[in-house]
Amino acid sequence: MDADTSIGGHNAQFPSTQVSLLDAAASGLSGEALERVIALYWKPVYRFVRLKFRKDNEDAKDLTQGFFTSALQRDFFARFDPAKASFRTYLRMAVERFAANQHESLNRQKRGGDVRFEPIDNQAVAGESAEEIFEREWRRQLFSLAIEDLRAHCEQSGKQVHFSVFEAYDLTDADHPSYAELAARCGLPETTVTNHLAWARRMLRGFVTERLRGTTSGPRELHEEARRIWN
Amino acid sequence: MELSDSVLAHLRHVAALPDLSGTRYELESEIGRGGLGVVYQALDRELDRRVALKVMDAALAGEARLIARLEHPAVVPVYDTGSLPDGRTFYAMKLVGGARLDRYIAGNPSLAERLRAMRRIGEALAFAHTRGVIHRDLKPQNVMVGEFGEVYVMDWGVEAVAGTPAFRAPDAHLDQRSDIYALGALFQFVLPAAAPPALRAIVAKAMNHDPAERYPDVPAFLADLERFQEGSAVEAWREPWWHRLRRFGERNAVLLWLLTAYVVVKFLLFFLRKV
Repeated sequence: MDADTSIGGHNAQFPSTQVSLLDAAASGLSGEALERVIALYWKPVYRFVRLKFRKDNEDAKDLTQGFFTSALQRDFFARFDPAKASFRTYLRMAVERFAANQHESLNRQKRGGDVRFEPIDNQAVAGESAEEIFEREWRRQLFSLAIEDLRAHCEQSGKQVHFSVFEAYDLTDADHPSYAELAARCGLPETTVTNHLAWARRMLRGFVTERLRGTTSGPRELHEEARRIWN
Repeated sequence: MELSDSVLAHLRHVAALPDLSGTRYELESEIGRGGLGVVYQALDRELDRRVALKVMDAALAGEARLIARLEHPAVVPVYDTGSLPDGRTFYAMKLVGGARLDRYIAGNPSLAERLRAMRRIGEALAFAHTRGVIHRDLKPQNVMVGEFGEVYVMDWGVEAVAGTPAFRAPDAHLDQRSDIYALGALFQFVLPAAAPPALRAIVAKAMNHDPAERYPDVPAFLADLERFQEGSAVEAWREPWWHRLRRFGERNAVLLWLLTAYVVVKFLLFFLRKV
């Protein structure tokens, strides 16, 4: 088994590379911190807008872009109070208000007519509320970003084989191959395959936590959000 | 990368699995999960026995030490603790068979069996309070009833626990009296629909909104329960005279039968003499 790197290594906590949102806001929200928020929330906001306000693709994109632009201009992130709600809830409620206002103003302009409605996004599961979709898309985006982090980490540290094993087993929509099949396909012993998988999953968990840390207000919110992810 | 729902669900599952390489344990299956962690069934390879392995955030590691202080027949013993490579912590404990209290009650046990389970729970709680430990989250899902009627109280509270609404006392700060409230709520859950009023009164006293009006401690609650089982008046209820009379009748049934028989015989003898 390959030796672990210091990142996520044995008996060590995954090292923190991201400061919390509040710490970032205290020193004037940096471009990097904003980038993290937008990277994680752009898609969930877009899907939320599409479903809840039945916007078509272009309108939803414009509205999402408009929301983040307006948020940056109006000091939206600095006004976040973690005592009242999680950042995710705060952002969703703000999006809802923003989109409702825009939607209403558009309707007024068109005197209630000629507003284009798209059928509800086919990703909406029957009985699922727009809020639930927002949370689901937030999870999906969080994992997508963490996988990209993992891929970049594997490339930088020469662990491309680890990522290939992980990709072949954990990222497939088809039936999972057996460990023996995967071992034969990759030309590795079966125990190496299971070790690589265990390593990649551990790292993925660490990257998910890091992404969460960068978009939450501190340890308490981080813990709460982590609970929503893993439970 | 766009992840499908099934891949996302798979990742959430596998990335949460504890990496037990480097430990003596081998993961077998998930037993249950709650707000504070996930419990798995695992094989202890060194001792060749199955254990329950609770995996949680490192910040909650105090729970294992807290439970280890509670050596009591109704508290699941902790065997071992450790850390996972990702920083989470785990502890191994006895794997308890049987059913959770809510499922046990769904099987409609007799009143005597229900009261017996409540006594065991109360005894565990009373013991913990003498050690300065409060449970904080007593509810049916945190009690196991074993195959032989043994009872285990689990998930002893740590600071992060805020309780479960239906069982949580309306107190600002959780303390022993809050546990007594939860014990009352648990008793209410355990009792059958047609429970005797004396038992309902015990529930009401334990669940009083004013902590000062509740039982002062768990032994006082247990003493009232015992009074009911012995046929005595419970402290929690000022019973009407006909209840007292009926209870007297039930407690002294043999004596009353003997007295009745004596009176009947005397009566018959009296008439026979006349004839």
